[in-house]
Amino acid sequence: MSLAFKQETFRDDYTFRNSPEAIRRFPFPFPEDQYMYSVNIEPHTAGPKGAVTEFTLDVDEHYVAECRDKAITLEQDPGRCASLPHMMDAEWDFLEFTMESLARDYPEQFSLSKNGKAWTWINRPLGIEQSFVFGDAATLPMGPFEYMGRQVQGDFVLLDQREDTLFADAGIVTSQADWSLAFNVGMSWNEWHGPVPQVTKLGVMDRALKFLMSLQQANPVRRLNWTMTINPRLDTSPENYPLWGGDRNKVNEQNAGELAHLRVELQTLFRMPRSNAIVFSIRCYLISMQEMATYPRWAKRFHRVLRDLHPDLVEYKGITKYQQAVVAWLSRFDDGADIGTGTQPE
Amino acid sequence: MERGYWIRSKPVYTALLWNDKATAHAVLAAGDGGLAVLKLFQQALPEQPITVFYSPAGADKDYLPALQAAVDADLRVFATTAELLAAWADYLATARMGLRIYTAGTEKFMWDVTDAAADFGILNQDVMKELTGSLARSVYCVHCKSLTHEVTSNIATCSGCGRQLFVRDHFSRRMGAYMGLMVDAENPGEVPQIEEIYP
Amino acid sequence: MSQLQVKVASIQDVSAGVRHFTLVDAHGGELPAFSGGSHIVVTMPAPGRTYRNAYSLLSSPEDRAHYEIAVHRQPQSRGGSIYMHEEVKVGSVLDISYPVNLFALSRVAKHHLLIAGGIGITPFMAQIHDLERLGGDYSLHYGFRSREHAAFADALKGRVSQRAVCYDESLGQRMDFDALLRAQPLGTHVYACGPQGMVEALVSTARALGWPEHHIHSEQFLAPPVGEPFTLKLSKSELEITVQGDMSMLEALEAAGVDAPSLCRGGACGRCELEVLGTDGELQHHDHYLSDADKASGRKIMPCVSRAKCGYLELNL
Repeated sequence: MSLAFKQETFRDDYTFRNSPEAIRRFPFPFPEDQYMYSVNIEPHTAGPKGAVTEFTLDVDEHYVAECRDKAITLEQDPGRCASLPHMMDAEWDFLEFTMESLARDYPEQFSLSKNGKAWTWINRPLGIEQSFVFGDAATLPMGPFEYMGRQVQGDFVLLDQREDTLFADAGIVTSQADWSLAFNVGMSWNEWHGPVPQVTKLGVMDRALKFLMSLQQANPVRRLNWTMTINPRLDTSPENYPLWGGDRNKVNEQNAGELAHLRVELQTLFRMPRSNAIVFSIRCYLISMQEMATYPRWAKRFHRVLRDLHPDLVEYKGITKYQQAVVAWLSRFDDGADIGTGTQPE
Repeated sequence: MERGYWIRSKPVYTALLWNDKATAHAVLAAGDGGLAVLKLFQQALPEQPITVFYSPAGADKDYLPALQAAVDADLRVFATTAELLAAWADYLATARMGLRIYTAGTEKFMWDVTDAAADFGILNQDVMKELTGSLARSVYCVHCKSLTHEVTSNIATCSGCGRQLFVRDHFSRRMGAYMGLMVDAENPGEVPQIEEIYP
Repeated sequence: MSQLQVKVASIQDVSAGVRHFTLVDAHGGELPAFSGGSHIVVTMPAPGRTYRNAYSLLSSPEDRAHYEIAVHRQPQSRGGSIYMHEEVKVGSVLDISYPVNLFALSRVAKHHLLIAGGIGITPFMAQIHDLERLGGDYSLHYGFRSREHAAFADALKGRVSQRAVCYDESLGQRMDFDALLRAQPLGTHVYACGPQGMVEALVSTARALGWPEHHIHSEQFLAPPVGEPFTLKLSKSELEITVQGDMSMLEALEAAGVDAPSLCRGGACGRCELEVLGTDGELQHHDHYLSDADKASGRKIMPCVSRAKCGYLELNL
């Protein structure tokens, strides 16, 4: 597979755009006109060729630009990567997991060679070649988790399983939907899912926890979540809320197609072997309303979802200020026709 | 309760109650936490040895005479909470499993006690806590990462960066603090009415 | 669920009734790494029925070339351990699950107190590797009936003699749980694996001495108890299945081709929980997973080890 990596930005001049191919493979999350919050976990099995779920970790045309944006965020705020001292085994598990899956699924871009514990990693898109000793952190320029966390798109949280729950004891979080790693690191499942929408049915989070506690090696799972973001900004962190919060005031019926973006998270969870930790990967995909509307079926669907969204969810997702502007912009695509169920673009 | 969602990270504090399955008991209180200790000693006492650490600092009333009369145990009194916490760390270093831990006072004091115990492998849920006196909160500024203590209002000025912070109910046990988020980030200067809600 | 295929590379009798199997990847590759305390579920295709038993991995978690398990021949075995002792030879190919850890070391513990009885030593053999590698502070107490039952006493002597204490019951040596537990520094976690009586005594002593629940860890693989035959009615798939007296509900479901999830098969993990819709008799709960209130409600059952004394049992499946 050959990938053409785009030069683009996710801040300041916001030159990020999706190619027609990237729009077509966008993980559109709404199979029905009505959206209800649910946990909807399914096995993370290989999807069709070209889909974002084709491989264990998805590398797309935004890879190089996203890694660069991540590096800027980490330089400005090193606290976006944190790992508690007992997570070192999980860090190495993460390094092995990401290196092995990238090298297996994208052999033109990445390669990994092993001679016992002496490993050599090559990342061609980012121009990295690194020889190191597996298990010896002194042979890497930084901790193994941060080292590979910087070379994969999306956010990662490492969950330690103990005391009948999961603890978010390490994370590299630079493209989050408004939650703070520095504040949340070390929290148990119930604590870091502190804020959940009121409409969430009682027991939903408990059942999800129970399910994940018995997650097995080689049987990963996934779910989609979504929110909205103004401008194609990956770093919508609470830390930088003063930088991006004001953008919510700028949306009107005329510019909503350009400014408003649907933000979909492909969340995948993998059991790690040595540490028994769970890797929680949160991969963010952005699409502007204009780009989405190149497939009228999606525009119709999202118009209905957003128009009829439960007020608690509107508030929870921070959409209140511009919901009406986006609904008005999308309404031109919606003739009210029945479009059936399913997330397909056409 | 914040609009649209609910928060499960906020700790729930209870009244202190002896746990009679133990090998020893340590009770740590400061200020108005003295009253909680007095109430605890009204209950049937456990058989195992009890050590009480008390600092009157911050108390509205002088509980010390009543404590000295009521506490039929090893009562250790400290002028400041800092001295109390230093003695607590020394005590933990030689303690054995089976120690039950009880604490009462302000939220900050209780989490300082709990943090010290956590360094010795005690899980925070295994420290029994009774909030007394003020509901004042410690607030973590998510923007500049400073802690502002003794916040009694819904909106507080950050001691680090000076921003006006909305105090959320989201609580970090590791920091012993609630999250503070810039209240006028979307509309600079538009700060809602400040009310004292954590007196 | 994804499975692994392994080949038996060697078999060794290590003590009375205990046979030690070394397994390698059937296709010549590496086996997955694991964490100390993990087990695998071995599928045993006996004529007429399939057994699936969980065995702790005792080899070094870093050794990707081999897995080692030890199988104690259970005198009252329903067939699983007898199959392993009599049917499995060097060169036999077996399907096993990926490693699953329901008995993990706490990574925030300050000290680890490991208590092993008999064949219960096996998960600790792997955990000791992890603790040595991580520089963890621990002590191991290993009790056995007599020297000929001490499957791994010699292996321990060589490796970690300063940290291991052996108790030979035939010489009158017994662990004193009360004294041992009282002497532990704060932040200790205790782990027990072995005969039911030993594990229960350890756990109840620790609780009585005020050890918090999350500092107490134990593992016992329960074999499904035998009972009377009964009929399962499945409401969704509209099937009726007979559970024979020497078969578990889970085995009967699997034999009938019903897709029923499971993980530990020993009543510990909770993965196989099923909803009970009705019965004309009473449920016989044998698991360690459901709360007393759940058991009393009559609405939930763990089919891996529990059964019913009844004519029929209706499940929402």
